[in-house]
Amino acid sequence: MRKLLHTEQIKLFNYNPFRITIALYLVAFTLGILIYPAIDKEIPVISLSDLFRFPDVWLFLAWITEPYNAVLALVVIMITTKEFSDHTFKTQVVFGLSRTDLLLQKLLSIAFLSLFAMLLVGLTSLALGLIYSYKLTLKIALENTWILGKYLLAAFSYMTIGLMVALLIKNTALSLITFLALRVFVDPVLWLLLRNHEIRWYLPFRTITRLTPVPDLIEIFQRKMNSAEPIDEATMDILPKGLPEWLNVLMVILYTSLVIYGCYRLLQRRRFT
Amino acid sequence: MKELLSIEGLSKSYKSIRAIHNLHLLISEGQSFGILGPNGSGKTTTLSIITGIIRQDSGSFKWFGEEPVSEHRKSIGSLIESPHFYPYLNLEKNLRIICDIKGISYKDIPRVLEMSRLIQRRKSRFSTLSLGMKQRLGLAAAMLGDPQVLVLDEPTNGLDPEGIAEVRELVNNQVGIGKTLILASHILSEVEKICSHVAILKKGELLANGPVRELLAEDEIIEVSCRDNQLLKRKLGSSGLVSEIEEENGVLVLTLKERVTAHEINAFAFSCNLVLHHMLSRKRSLESQFLELVKEES
Repeated sequence: MRKLLHTEQIKLFNYNPFRITIALYLVAFTLGILIYPAIDKEIPVISLSDLFRFPDVWLFLAWITEPYNAVLALVVIMITTKEFSDHTFKTQVVFGLSRTDLLLQKLLSIAFLSLFAMLLVGLTSLALGLIYSYKLTLKIALENTWILGKYLLAAFSYMTIGLMVALLIKNTALSLITFLALRVFVDPVLWLLLRNHEIRWYLPFRTITRLTPVPDLIEIFQRKMNSAEPIDEATMDILPKGLPEWLNVLMVILYTSLVIYGCYRLLQRRRFT
Repeated sequence: MKELLSIEGLSKSYKSIRAIHNLHLLISEGQSFGILGPNGSGKTTTLSIITGIIRQDSGSFKWFGEEPVSEHRKSIGSLIESPHFYPYLNLEKNLRIICDIKGISYKDIPRVLEMSRLIQRRKSRFSTLSLGMKQRLGLAAAMLGDPQVLVLDEPTNGLDPEGIAEVRELVNNQVGIGKTLILASHILSEVEKICSHVAILKKGELLANGPVRELLAEDEIIEVSCRDNQLLKRKLGSSGLVSEIEEENGVLVLTLKERVTAHEINAFAFSCNLVLHHMLSRKRSLESQFLELVKEES
Protein backbone atom coordinates (compact mmCIF):
# COMPACT_ATOMS: atom_id res chain seq x y z
CA MET A 1 0.00 0.00 0.00
CA ARG A 2 2.79 2.41 0.99
CA LYS A 3 4.67 1.55 -2.21
CA LEU A 4 1.56 2.18 -4.29
CA LEU A 5 1.10 5.57 -2.69
CA HIS A 6 4.76 6.35 -3.25
CA THR A 7 4.59 5.56 -6.99
CA GLU A 8 1.52 7.79 -7.23
CA GLN A 9 3.41 10.58 -5.47
CA ILE A 10 6.29 10.33 -7.96
CA LYS A 11 3.86 10.43 -10.87
CA LEU A 12 1.68 13.27 -9.58
CA PHE A 13 4.17 15.69 -8.08
CA ASN A 14 6.31 15.63 -11.21
CA TYR A 15 3.41 16.06 -13.61
CA ASN A 16 3.09 19.73 -14.58
CA PRO A 17 -0.62 19.73 -15.58
CA PHE A 18 -1.38 18.26 -12.13
CA ARG A 19 0.65 20.93 -10.36
CA ILE A 20 -0.91 23.70 -12.45
CA THR A 21 -4.48 22.46 -11.92
CA ILE A 22 -3.96 22.17 -8.17
CA ALA A 23 -2.47 25.68 -8.15
CA LEU A 24 -5.51 26.96 -10.08
CA TYR A 25 -7.77 25.13 -7.63
CA LEU A 26 -6.06 26.92 -4.75
CA VAL A 27 -6.31 30.29 -6.50
CA ALA A 28 -10.01 29.72 -7.28
CA PHE A 29 -10.59 28.60 -3.70
CA THR A 30 -8.91 31.71 -2.27
CA LEU A 31 -10.69 34.07 -4.66
CA GLY A 32 -13.97 32.36 -3.82
CA ILE A 33 -13.44 33.20 -0.16
CA LEU A 34 -12.19 36.74 -0.79
CA ILE A 35 -15.22 37.60 -2.90
CA TYR A 36 -17.69 37.34 0.00
CA PRO A 37 -16.54 40.39 1.97
CA ALA A 38 -16.90 42.35 -1.30
CA ILE A 39 -20.49 41.15 -1.78
CA ASP A 40 -21.15 42.06 1.83
CA LYS A 41 -20.84 45.78 1.05
CA GLU A 42 -23.75 45.55 -1.37
CA ILE A 43 -26.17 44.01 1.12
CA PRO A 44 -27.50 46.28 3.88
CA VAL A 45 -28.39 45.02 7.39
CA ILE A 46 -27.25 41.47 6.72
CA SER A 47 -23.54 40.85 7.00
CA LEU A 48 -22.09 37.84 5.22
CA SER A 49 -19.17 38.00 7.59
CA ASP A 50 -21.58 36.62 10.19
CA LEU A 51 -21.34 33.37 8.28
CA PHE A 52 -17.58 33.33 8.88
CA ARG A 53 -18.13 33.04 12.63
CA PHE A 54 -18.05 29.86 14.66
CA PRO A 55 -19.94 27.58 14.50
CA ASP A 56 -21.59 28.56 11.16
CA VAL A 57 -18.33 28.97 9.29
CA TRP A 58 -17.86 25.19 8.99
CA LEU A 59 -21.21 24.71 7.26
CA PHE A 60 -20.95 27.83 5.14
CA LEU A 61 -17.48 27.12 3.83
CA ALA A 62 -18.29 23.47 3.13
CA TRP A 63 -21.29 24.64 1.13
CA ILE A 64 -19.57 27.37 -0.92
CA THR A 65 -16.47 25.28 -1.70
CA GLU A 66 -18.36 22.13 -2.63
CA PRO A 67 -18.34 22.95 -6.38
CA TYR A 68 -14.52 22.92 -6.31
CA ASN A 69 -14.69 19.16 -5.85
CA ALA A 70 -15.56 19.02 -9.55
CA VAL A 71 -12.09 20.46 -10.26
CA LEU A 72 -10.53 17.62 -8.28
CA ALA A 73 -12.61 15.15 -10.27
CA LEU A 74 -11.19 16.70 -13.44
CA VAL A 75 -7.69 16.20 -12.01
CA VAL A 76 -8.46 12.51 -11.46
CA ILE A 77 -9.72 12.22 -15.04
CA MET A 78 -6.55 13.87 -16.31
CA ILE A 79 -4.15 11.63 -14.41
CA THR A 80 -6.07 8.45 -15.25
CA THR A 81 -6.51 9.03 -18.97
CA LYS A 82 -2.83 10.03 -19.13
CA GLU A 83 -1.99 6.48 -18.03
CA PHE A 84 -3.94 5.21 -21.03
CA SER A 85 -2.41 7.63 -23.52
CA ASP A 86 1.13 6.90 -22.28
CA HIS A 87 0.38 3.15 -22.10
CA THR A 88 1.78 3.13 -18.58
CA PHE A 89 -1.02 0.99 -17.13
CA LYS A 90 0.38 -1.71 -19.43
CA THR A 91 3.93 -1.16 -18.19
CA GLN A 92 2.85 -1.41 -14.56
CA VAL A 93 0.95 -4.64 -15.18
CA VAL A 94 3.87 -6.16 -17.09
CA PHE A 95 6.19 -5.42 -14.17
CA GLY A 96 3.90 -7.00 -11.63
CA LEU A 97 0.99 -4.83 -10.53
CA SER A 98 -2.34 -6.61 -10.48
CA ARG A 99 -5.38 -4.92 -11.95
CA THR A 100 -6.74 -4.57 -8.43
CA ASP A 101 -3.49 -2.76 -7.51
CA LEU A 102 -4.12 -0.33 -10.37
CA LEU A 103 -7.52 0.52 -8.91
CA LEU A 104 -6.14 0.71 -5.40
CA GLN A 105 -3.42 3.07 -6.61
CA LYS A 106 -5.95 5.49 -8.07
CA LEU A 107 -8.22 5.21 -5.04
CA LEU A 108 -5.25 6.11 -2.84
CA SER A 109 -4.67 9.22 -4.97
CA ILE A 110 -8.34 10.08 -4.63
CA ALA A 111 -8.20 9.55 -0.86
CA PHE A 112 -5.11 11.76 -0.70
CA LEU A 113 -6.79 14.53 -2.72
CA SER A 114 -9.97 14.23 -0.62
CA LEU A 115 -7.95 14.64 2.57
CA PHE A 116 -6.16 17.59 1.04
CA ALA A 117 -9.49 19.24 0.13
CA MET A 118 -10.94 18.51 3.56
CA LEU A 119 -7.89 19.90 5.34
CA LEU A 120 -7.97 23.00 3.16
CA VAL A 121 -11.63 23.66 4.01
CA GLY A 122 -11.02 22.76 7.65
CA LEU A 123 -8.00 25.00 8.12
CA THR A 124 -9.58 27.89 6.19
CA SER A 125 -12.76 27.60 8.29
CA LEU A 126 -10.68 27.56 11.44
CA ALA A 127 -8.71 30.63 10.37
CA LEU A 128 -11.83 32.58 9.34
CA GLY A 129 -13.62 31.52 12.50
CA LEU A 130 -10.76 32.76 14.64
CA ILE A 131 -10.67 36.08 12.78
CA TYR A 132 -14.39 36.84 12.68
CA SER A 133 -15.81 35.31 15.90
CA TYR A 134 -16.64 37.56 18.87
CA LYS A 135 -17.25 34.84 21.41
CA LEU A 136 -14.74 32.07 21.33
CA THR A 137 -15.21 28.92 23.32
CA LEU A 138 -13.97 25.49 22.38
CA LYS A 139 -17.52 24.16 22.37
CA ILE A 140 -18.75 26.78 19.93
CA ALA A 141 -15.62 26.51 17.79
CA LEU A 142 -15.89 22.77 17.38
CA GLU A 143 -19.65 22.66 16.84
CA ASN A 144 -20.50 21.60 13.27
CA THR A 145 -17.01 20.24 12.52
CA TRP A 146 -18.75 16.96 11.64
CA ILE A 147 -19.44 18.58 8.25
CA LEU A 148 -15.77 17.98 7.38
CA GLY A 149 -16.41 14.23 7.39
CA LYS A 150 -19.26 14.73 4.94
CA TYR A 151 -17.08 17.04 2.86
CA LEU A 152 -14.45 14.29 2.69
CA LEU A 153 -17.09 11.82 1.52
CA ALA A 154 -18.40 14.30 -1.08
CA ALA A 155 -14.92 14.92 -2.49
CA PHE A 156 -14.16 11.20 -2.57
CA SER A 157 -17.46 10.40 -4.31
CA TYR A 158 -17.00 13.12 -6.93
CA MET A 159 -13.55 11.85 -7.78
CA THR A 160 -14.58 8.19 -7.99
CA ILE A 161 -17.20 9.22 -10.57
CA GLY A 162 -14.40 11.02 -12.43
CA LEU A 163 -12.29 7.85 -12.23
CA MET A 164 -15.06 5.71 -13.66
CA VAL A 165 -15.65 8.12 -16.55
CA ALA A 166 -11.90 8.07 -17.30
CA LEU A 167 -11.68 4.27 -17.18
CA LEU A 168 -14.72 3.99 -19.40
CA ILE A 169 -13.75 6.52 -22.05
CA LYS A 170 -9.92 6.51 -21.81
CA ASN A 171 -9.59 9.69 -23.87
CA THR A 172 -8.80 12.84 -21.84
CA ALA A 173 -10.86 15.42 -23.75
CA LEU A 174 -13.88 13.15 -24.16
CA SER A 175 -13.78 12.13 -20.52
CA LEU A 176 -13.60 15.74 -19.32
CA ILE A 177 -16.51 16.72 -21.59
CA THR A 178 -18.56 13.73 -20.47
CA PHE A 179 -17.99 14.46 -16.80
CA LEU A 180 -18.84 18.13 -17.18
CA ALA A 181 -21.90 17.26 -19.26
CA LEU A 182 -23.09 14.89 -16.54
CA ARG A 183 -22.56 17.48 -13.83
CA VAL A 184 -23.64 20.65 -15.61
CA PHE A 185 -26.26 19.40 -18.04
CA VAL A 186 -27.60 15.88 -17.39
CA ASP A 187 -28.04 16.26 -13.63
CA PRO A 188 -29.88 19.65 -13.76
CA VAL A 189 -32.09 18.49 -16.65
CA LEU A 190 -33.06 15.32 -14.79
CA TRP A 191 -33.67 17.42 -11.69
CA LEU A 192 -36.08 19.62 -13.65
CA LEU A 193 -37.80 16.71 -15.36
CA LEU A 194 -38.35 14.99 -12.04
CA ARG A 195 -39.37 18.16 -10.18
CA ASN A 196 -42.70 16.68 -9.10
CA HIS A 197 -41.23 13.39 -7.98
CA GLU A 198 -39.51 12.59 -4.73
CA ILE A 199 -37.09 10.36 -6.64
CA ARG A 200 -35.18 13.48 -7.78
CA TRP A 201 -33.54 13.59 -4.36
CA TYR A 202 -31.93 10.24 -5.18
CA LEU A 203 -30.04 11.55 -8.23
CA PRO A 204 -26.35 10.73 -7.59
CA PHE A 205 -24.92 14.23 -7.97
CA ARG A 206 -27.81 15.65 -5.95
CA THR A 207 -27.13 13.33 -3.05
CA ILE A 208 -23.45 14.30 -3.12
CA THR A 209 -24.12 18.05 -3.15
CA ARG A 210 -26.68 17.58 -0.36
CA LEU A 211 -23.91 16.24 1.87
CA THR A 212 -22.85 19.86 2.33
CA PRO A 213 -26.21 21.65 1.96
CA VAL A 214 -27.00 25.36 2.08
CA PRO A 215 -26.77 26.39 5.73
CA ASP A 216 -30.02 27.53 7.30
CA LEU A 217 -29.35 31.20 6.52
CA ILE A 218 -32.71 32.40 7.79
CA GLU A 219 -32.12 30.80 11.15
CA ILE A 220 -28.59 32.24 11.27
CA PHE A 221 -29.70 35.82 10.56
CA GLN A 222 -32.69 35.49 12.83
CA ARG A 223 -30.36 34.37 15.57
CA LYS A 224 -28.17 37.37 14.87
CA MET A 225 -31.09 39.77 15.16
CA ASN A 226 -32.28 38.02 18.33
CA SER A 227 -35.73 37.73 16.81
CA ALA A 228 -38.13 35.41 18.62
CA GLU A 229 -40.69 35.66 15.86
CA PRO A 230 -41.42 32.30 14.35
CA ILE A 231 -40.61 31.98 10.67
CA ASP A 232 -43.71 31.46 8.61
CA GLU A 233 -44.29 28.28 6.60
CA ALA A 234 -43.89 29.99 3.22
CA THR A 235 -40.40 31.21 4.14
CA MET A 236 -39.41 27.77 5.35
CA ASP A 237 -40.47 26.30 1.99
CA ILE A 238 -37.69 28.28 0.29
CA LEU A 239 -35.18 25.94 1.85
CA PRO A 240 -34.82 22.63 0.06
CA LYS A 241 -35.75 19.64 2.19
CA GLY A 242 -34.51 16.50 0.51
CA LEU A 243 -33.78 13.14 2.03
CA PRO A 244 -33.15 12.66 5.74
CA GLU A 245 -29.48 13.22 6.47
CA TRP A 246 -28.72 9.58 7.34
CA LEU A 247 -30.42 8.33 4.17
CA ASN A 248 -28.55 10.86 2.05
CA VAL A 249 -25.20 9.72 3.49
CA LEU A 250 -26.20 6.10 2.98
CA MET A 251 -27.14 6.76 -0.66
CA VAL A 252 -23.78 8.44 -1.34
CA ILE A 253 -21.92 5.51 0.25
CA LEU A 254 -24.02 3.12 -1.85
CA TYR A 255 -23.40 5.04 -5.09
CA THR A 256 -19.68 5.35 -4.37
CA SER A 257 -19.42 1.62 -3.65
CA LEU A 258 -21.22 0.86 -6.92
CA VAL A 259 -18.93 3.22 -8.84
CA ILE A 260 -15.82 1.59 -7.29
CA TYR A 261 -17.17 -1.84 -8.19
CA GLY A 262 -17.81 -0.57 -11.74
CA CYS A 263 -14.19 0.67 -11.90
CA TYR A 264 -12.98 -2.72 -10.67
CA ARG A 265 -14.97 -4.56 -13.35
CA LEU A 266 -13.77 -2.16 -16.04
CA LEU A 267 -10.13 -2.63 -15.07
CA GLN A 268 -10.48 -6.40 -14.92
CA ARG A 269 -11.81 -6.45 -18.47
CA ARG A 270 -9.57 -3.78 -19.98
CA ARG A 271 -7.09 -4.77 -22.61
CA PHE A 272 -3.97 -2.66 -22.10
CA THR A 273 -2.39 -1.87 -25.44
CA MET B 1 15.40 -29.11 -16.42
CA LYS B 2 12.62 -27.58 -14.34
CA GLU B 3 9.48 -26.44 -16.07
CA LEU B 4 9.27 -22.65 -16.29
CA LEU B 5 6.25 -21.94 -18.43
CA SER B 6 3.65 -24.32 -19.69
CA ILE B 7 0.98 -23.17 -22.10
CA GLU B 8 -1.99 -25.42 -22.71
CA GLY B 9 -4.61 -24.90 -25.39
CA LEU B 10 -4.33 -21.11 -25.33
CA SER B 11 -6.73 -19.31 -27.69
CA LYS B 12 -7.48 -15.65 -28.21
CA SER B 13 -9.58 -13.84 -30.81
CA TYR B 14 -10.12 -10.16 -31.47
CA LYS B 15 -13.70 -10.14 -32.72
CA SER B 16 -13.55 -12.17 -35.94
CA ILE B 17 -9.74 -12.27 -36.06
CA ARG B 18 -8.20 -15.37 -34.55
CA ALA B 19 -4.92 -14.31 -32.94
CA ILE B 20 -3.87 -17.65 -31.45
CA HIS B 21 -5.56 -20.99 -31.54
CA ASN B 22 -5.06 -23.93 -29.22
CA LEU B 23 -1.42 -23.16 -28.54
CA HIS B 24 0.63 -25.66 -26.53
CA LEU B 25 4.19 -24.83 -25.45
CA LEU B 26 6.55 -25.95 -22.76
CA ILE B 27 9.55 -23.85 -21.82
CA SER B 28 12.11 -25.05 -19.31
CA GLU B 29 14.41 -23.08 -17.04
CA GLY B 30 17.67 -22.09 -18.65
CA GLN B 31 16.39 -22.28 -22.22
CA SER B 32 16.67 -19.42 -24.64
CA PHE B 33 13.38 -19.88 -26.41
CA GLY B 34 12.47 -18.05 -29.59
CA ILE B 35 8.92 -17.54 -30.79
CA LEU B 36 9.20 -16.95 -34.47
CA GLY B 37 6.55 -15.99 -36.94
CA PRO B 38 5.56 -13.44 -39.54
CA ASN B 39 3.60 -10.35 -38.55
CA GLY B 40 0.16 -11.26 -37.24
CA SER B 41 1.17 -14.78 -36.29
CA GLY B 42 0.21 -14.33 -32.63
CA LYS B 43 3.64 -13.81 -31.03
CA THR B 44 2.79 -10.59 -29.23
CA THR B 45 -0.64 -11.88 -28.25
CA THR B 46 1.00 -14.93 -26.67
CA LEU B 47 3.49 -12.81 -24.72
CA SER B 48 0.78 -10.29 -23.78
CA ILE B 49 -1.30 -13.09 -22.27
CA ILE B 50 1.55 -14.60 -20.29
CA THR B 51 2.51 -11.16 -18.95
CA GLY B 52 -1.04 -10.30 -17.89
CA ILE B 53 -1.74 -7.49 -20.34
CA ILE B 54 -4.64 -9.29 -21.98
CA ARG B 55 -6.75 -12.27 -21.03
CA GLN B 56 -7.10 -15.43 -23.06
CA ASP B 57 -10.47 -16.63 -24.32
CA SER B 58 -9.68 -20.21 -23.40
CA GLY B 59 -6.79 -22.41 -22.34
CA SER B 60 -4.39 -21.86 -19.50
CA PHE B 61 -0.76 -21.29 -18.65
CA LYS B 62 1.41 -21.77 -15.62
CA TRP B 63 4.53 -19.96 -14.44
CA PHE B 64 6.94 -22.02 -12.33
CA GLY B 65 4.32 -24.79 -12.27
CA GLU B 66 1.78 -22.53 -10.54
CA GLU B 67 -1.37 -20.71 -11.59
CA PRO B 68 -0.29 -17.24 -12.77
CA VAL B 69 -0.41 -14.42 -10.20
CA SER B 70 0.98 -10.90 -10.32
CA GLU B 71 3.82 -11.92 -7.95
CA HIS B 72 5.27 -14.11 -10.74
CA ARG B 73 5.55 -11.09 -13.01
CA LYS B 74 7.61 -9.29 -10.37
CA SER B 75 10.29 -11.95 -10.75
CA ILE B 76 10.28 -11.77 -14.56
CA GLY B 77 11.88 -9.05 -16.65
CA SER B 78 9.62 -8.17 -19.55
CA LEU B 79 9.69 -5.90 -22.55
CA ILE B 80 6.53 -6.20 -24.61
CA GLU B 81 6.56 -4.30 -27.92
CA SER B 82 7.81 -0.74 -27.43
CA PRO B 83 8.78 0.32 -23.93
CA HIS B 84 6.30 2.74 -22.36
CA PHE B 85 7.31 4.95 -19.48
CA TYR B 86 6.19 8.27 -18.02
CA PRO B 87 7.42 10.78 -20.63
CA TYR B 88 7.70 13.67 -18.16
CA LEU B 89 9.79 11.73 -15.63
CA ASN B 90 13.52 11.24 -15.89
CA LEU B 91 15.01 7.78 -16.33
CA GLU B 92 15.87 7.38 -12.67
CA LYS B 93 12.34 8.25 -11.50
CA ASN B 94 10.81 5.95 -14.09
CA LEU B 95 12.99 3.11 -12.83
CA ARG B 96 12.10 3.97 -9.23
CA ILE B 97 8.47 3.31 -10.08
CA ILE B 98 9.44 -0.11 -11.47
CA CYS B 99 11.52 -0.80 -8.34
CA ASP B 100 8.52 0.08 -6.15
CA ILE B 101 6.30 -2.23 -8.18
CA LYS B 102 8.79 -5.08 -8.02
CA GLY B 103 9.58 -4.40 -4.39
CA ILE B 104 13.32 -4.04 -4.93
CA SER B 105 15.88 -1.52 -3.77
CA TYR B 106 16.68 1.64 -5.76
CA LYS B 107 20.34 0.64 -5.42
CA ASP B 108 19.99 -1.56 -8.50
CA ILE B 109 19.17 1.42 -10.76
CA PRO B 110 22.76 2.57 -11.48
CA ARG B 111 23.75 -1.03 -12.35
CA VAL B 112 21.09 -1.45 -15.04
CA LEU B 113 21.62 2.08 -16.37
CA GLU B 114 25.32 1.34 -16.61
CA MET B 115 24.63 -1.97 -18.34
CA SER B 116 22.39 -0.31 -20.90
CA ARG B 117 24.83 2.59 -21.26
CA LEU B 118 22.29 5.18 -20.17
CA ILE B 119 23.95 6.26 -16.94
CA GLN B 120 24.88 9.64 -18.44
CA ARG B 121 21.24 10.27 -19.32
CA ARG B 122 19.77 9.26 -15.97
CA LYS B 123 18.46 12.77 -15.31
CA SER B 124 16.98 13.16 -18.81
CA ARG B 125 13.27 12.92 -19.34
CA PHE B 126 12.08 9.75 -21.04
CA SER B 127 10.49 11.84 -23.81
CA THR B 128 13.90 13.21 -24.83
CA LEU B 129 15.40 9.78 -25.59
CA SER B 130 15.96 8.40 -29.07
CA LEU B 131 14.14 5.23 -30.10
CA GLY B 132 17.23 3.12 -29.49
CA MET B 133 17.73 4.62 -26.05
CA LYS B 134 14.09 4.00 -25.18
CA GLN B 135 14.51 0.39 -26.19
CA ARG B 136 17.64 0.14 -24.05
CA LEU B 137 15.79 1.66 -21.11
CA GLY B 138 13.08 -0.96 -21.63
CA LEU B 139 15.75 -3.61 -21.34
CA ALA B 140 17.27 -1.89 -18.31
CA ALA B 141 13.87 -1.93 -16.62
CA ALA B 142 13.46 -5.59 -17.52
CA MET B 143 16.80 -6.35 -15.88
CA LEU B 144 16.04 -4.53 -12.62
CA GLY B 145 16.36 -6.90 -9.72
CA ASP B 146 18.42 -9.27 -11.85
CA PRO B 147 15.49 -11.57 -12.80
CA GLN B 148 16.26 -15.12 -13.88
CA VAL B 149 13.69 -14.93 -16.67
CA LEU B 150 13.51 -12.39 -19.49
CA VAL B 151 10.50 -12.07 -21.78
CA LEU B 152 11.32 -9.88 -24.75
CA ASP B 153 9.06 -9.03 -27.65
CA GLU B 154 10.85 -7.77 -30.76
CA PRO B 155 13.58 -6.06 -28.73
CA THR B 156 15.36 -4.77 -31.83
CA ASN B 157 12.26 -3.36 -33.49
CA GLY B 158 12.84 -0.03 -35.17
CA LEU B 159 16.52 0.18 -34.26
CA ASP B 160 19.38 1.12 -36.56
CA PRO B 161 22.08 -1.52 -37.22
CA GLU B 162 24.24 -0.19 -34.40
CA GLY B 163 21.29 -0.25 -32.01
CA ILE B 164 20.40 -3.79 -33.08
CA ALA B 165 23.95 -4.96 -32.42
CA GLU B 166 23.94 -3.28 -28.99
CA VAL B 167 20.64 -4.82 -27.94
CA ARG B 168 21.64 -8.26 -29.21
CA GLU B 169 24.89 -8.06 -27.31
CA LEU B 170 23.01 -7.11 -24.16
CA VAL B 171 20.57 -10.01 -24.57
CA ASN B 172 23.31 -12.46 -25.51
CA ASN B 173 25.22 -11.54 -22.37
CA GLN B 174 22.18 -12.36 -20.27
CA VAL B 175 21.73 -15.70 -22.01
CA GLY B 176 25.44 -16.31 -21.55
CA ILE B 177 25.12 -16.09 -17.79
CA GLY B 178 22.40 -18.73 -17.77
CA LYS B 179 19.19 -16.72 -17.74
CA THR B 180 16.03 -18.05 -19.30
CA LEU B 181 15.00 -16.05 -22.32
CA ILE B 182 11.68 -16.02 -24.14
CA LEU B 183 12.14 -13.98 -27.27
CA ALA B 184 9.48 -13.19 -29.86
CA SER B 185 10.77 -12.04 -33.18
CA HIS B 186 10.05 -12.07 -36.88
CA ILE B 187 13.77 -11.67 -37.59
CA LEU B 188 15.01 -15.16 -38.27
CA SER B 189 18.69 -14.43 -37.91
CA GLU B 190 18.01 -12.96 -34.48
CA VAL B 191 16.39 -16.15 -33.23
CA GLU B 192 19.08 -18.22 -34.93
CA LYS B 193 21.83 -16.25 -33.20
CA ILE B 194 20.33 -15.99 -29.74
CA CYS B 195 18.03 -18.94 -29.14
CA SER B 196 18.59 -22.61 -28.44
CA HIS B 197 14.94 -23.54 -28.98
CA VAL B 198 12.32 -22.18 -31.32
CA ALA B 199 8.58 -22.34 -31.85
CA ILE B 200 7.29 -21.24 -35.23
CA LEU B 201 3.84 -19.68 -35.35
CA LYS B 202 1.64 -18.82 -38.25
CA LYS B 203 -1.84 -17.31 -38.04
CA GLY B 204 -1.94 -18.25 -34.38
CA GLU B 205 -1.09 -21.91 -34.92
CA LEU B 206 2.08 -23.69 -33.89
CA LEU B 207 3.85 -25.02 -36.99
CA ALA B 208 7.04 -26.39 -35.48
CA ASN B 209 8.70 -26.50 -32.11
CA GLY B 210 12.08 -27.79 -31.00
CA PRO B 211 15.80 -27.11 -30.65
CA VAL B 212 17.09 -24.72 -33.29
CA ARG B 213 19.95 -27.14 -34.08
CA GLU B 214 17.55 -30.01 -34.71
CA LEU B 215 15.27 -27.94 -36.87
CA LEU B 216 18.27 -26.83 -38.87
CA ALA B 217 19.59 -30.36 -39.24
CA GLU B 218 16.30 -31.80 -40.35
CA ASP B 219 17.23 -31.78 -44.04
CA GLU B 220 20.70 -31.77 -45.43
CA ILE B 221 21.27 -29.84 -48.60
CA ILE B 222 24.20 -30.40 -50.96
CA GLU B 223 25.32 -28.78 -54.15
CA VAL B 224 26.61 -31.05 -56.93
CA SER B 225 27.59 -30.73 -60.56
CA CYS B 226 29.08 -32.97 -63.25
CA ARG B 227 29.60 -32.86 -67.03
CA ASP B 228 25.87 -33.62 -67.64
CA ASN B 229 23.74 -32.03 -64.94
CA GLN B 230 20.47 -32.78 -66.76
CA LEU B 231 21.23 -36.52 -66.87
CA LEU B 232 22.24 -36.49 -63.21
CA LYS B 233 19.02 -34.65 -62.36
CA ARG B 234 16.93 -37.30 -64.15
CA LYS B 235 18.82 -40.17 -62.52
CA LEU B 236 18.62 -38.64 -59.01
CA GLY B 237 14.94 -37.85 -59.54
CA SER B 238 14.13 -41.54 -59.83
CA SER B 239 16.69 -42.73 -57.27
CA GLY B 240 14.58 -42.13 -54.15
CA LEU B 241 17.58 -40.50 -52.46
CA VAL B 242 16.50 -36.87 -52.73
CA SER B 243 13.27 -35.09 -51.93
CA GLU B 244 13.94 -32.00 -54.02
CA ILE B 245 16.26 -30.93 -56.84
CA GLU B 246 16.76 -27.34 -57.90
CA GLU B 247 19.12 -25.77 -60.39
CA GLU B 248 21.04 -22.79 -59.16
CA ASN B 249 23.89 -21.06 -61.02
CA GLY B 250 24.95 -24.17 -62.96
CA VAL B 251 24.82 -26.52 -59.97
CA LEU B 252 22.15 -28.86 -58.70
CA VAL B 253 20.92 -28.15 -55.19
CA LEU B 254 19.74 -31.40 -53.66
CA THR B 255 17.62 -31.79 -50.53
CA LEU B 256 18.51 -35.21 -49.20
CA LYS B 257 15.96 -37.53 -47.76
CA GLU B 258 16.28 -38.50 -44.11
CA ARG B 259 19.41 -40.52 -43.32
CA VAL B 260 20.79 -40.16 -46.87
CA THR B 261 24.39 -38.95 -46.86
CA ALA B 262 26.47 -37.00 -49.36
CA HIS B 263 28.69 -40.10 -49.69
CA GLU B 264 25.72 -42.11 -51.01
CA ILE B 265 24.97 -39.41 -53.61
CA ASN B 266 28.55 -39.51 -54.78
CA ALA B 267 28.49 -43.31 -55.02
CA PHE B 268 25.17 -43.23 -56.87
CA ALA B 269 26.47 -40.72 -59.45
CA PHE B 270 29.58 -42.81 -59.97
CA SER B 271 27.42 -45.92 -60.51
CA CYS B 272 25.67 -43.95 -63.30
CA ASN B 273 29.06 -43.21 -64.88
CA LEU B 274 28.85 -39.60 -63.82
CA VAL B 275 31.84 -38.17 -61.99
CA LEU B 276 31.02 -35.23 -59.73
CA HIS B 277 33.46 -32.38 -60.11
CA HIS B 278 31.70 -30.18 -57.56
CA MET B 279 30.21 -31.22 -54.26
CA LEU B 280 29.42 -28.91 -51.35
CA SER B 281 27.39 -29.58 -48.26
CA ARG B 282 25.40 -26.63 -47.03
CA LYS B 283 23.15 -26.39 -44.05
CA ARG B 284 19.74 -25.02 -44.74
CA SER B 285 19.36 -21.71 -43.01
CA LEU B 286 16.56 -21.24 -40.53
CA GLU B 287 15.20 -18.63 -42.91
CA SER B 288 14.59 -21.12 -45.70
CA GLN B 289 13.24 -23.63 -43.19
CA PHE B 290 10.93 -20.99 -41.82
CA LEU B 291 9.76 -19.78 -45.20
CA GLU B 292 9.18 -23.33 -46.32
CA LEU B 293 7.19 -24.19 -43.21
CA VAL B 294 5.06 -21.11 -43.59
CA LYS B 295 4.58 -21.80 -47.32
CA GLU B 296 3.63 -25.44 -46.76
CA GLU B 297 0.89 -24.53 -44.35
CA SER B 298 -0.71 -21.84 -46.48
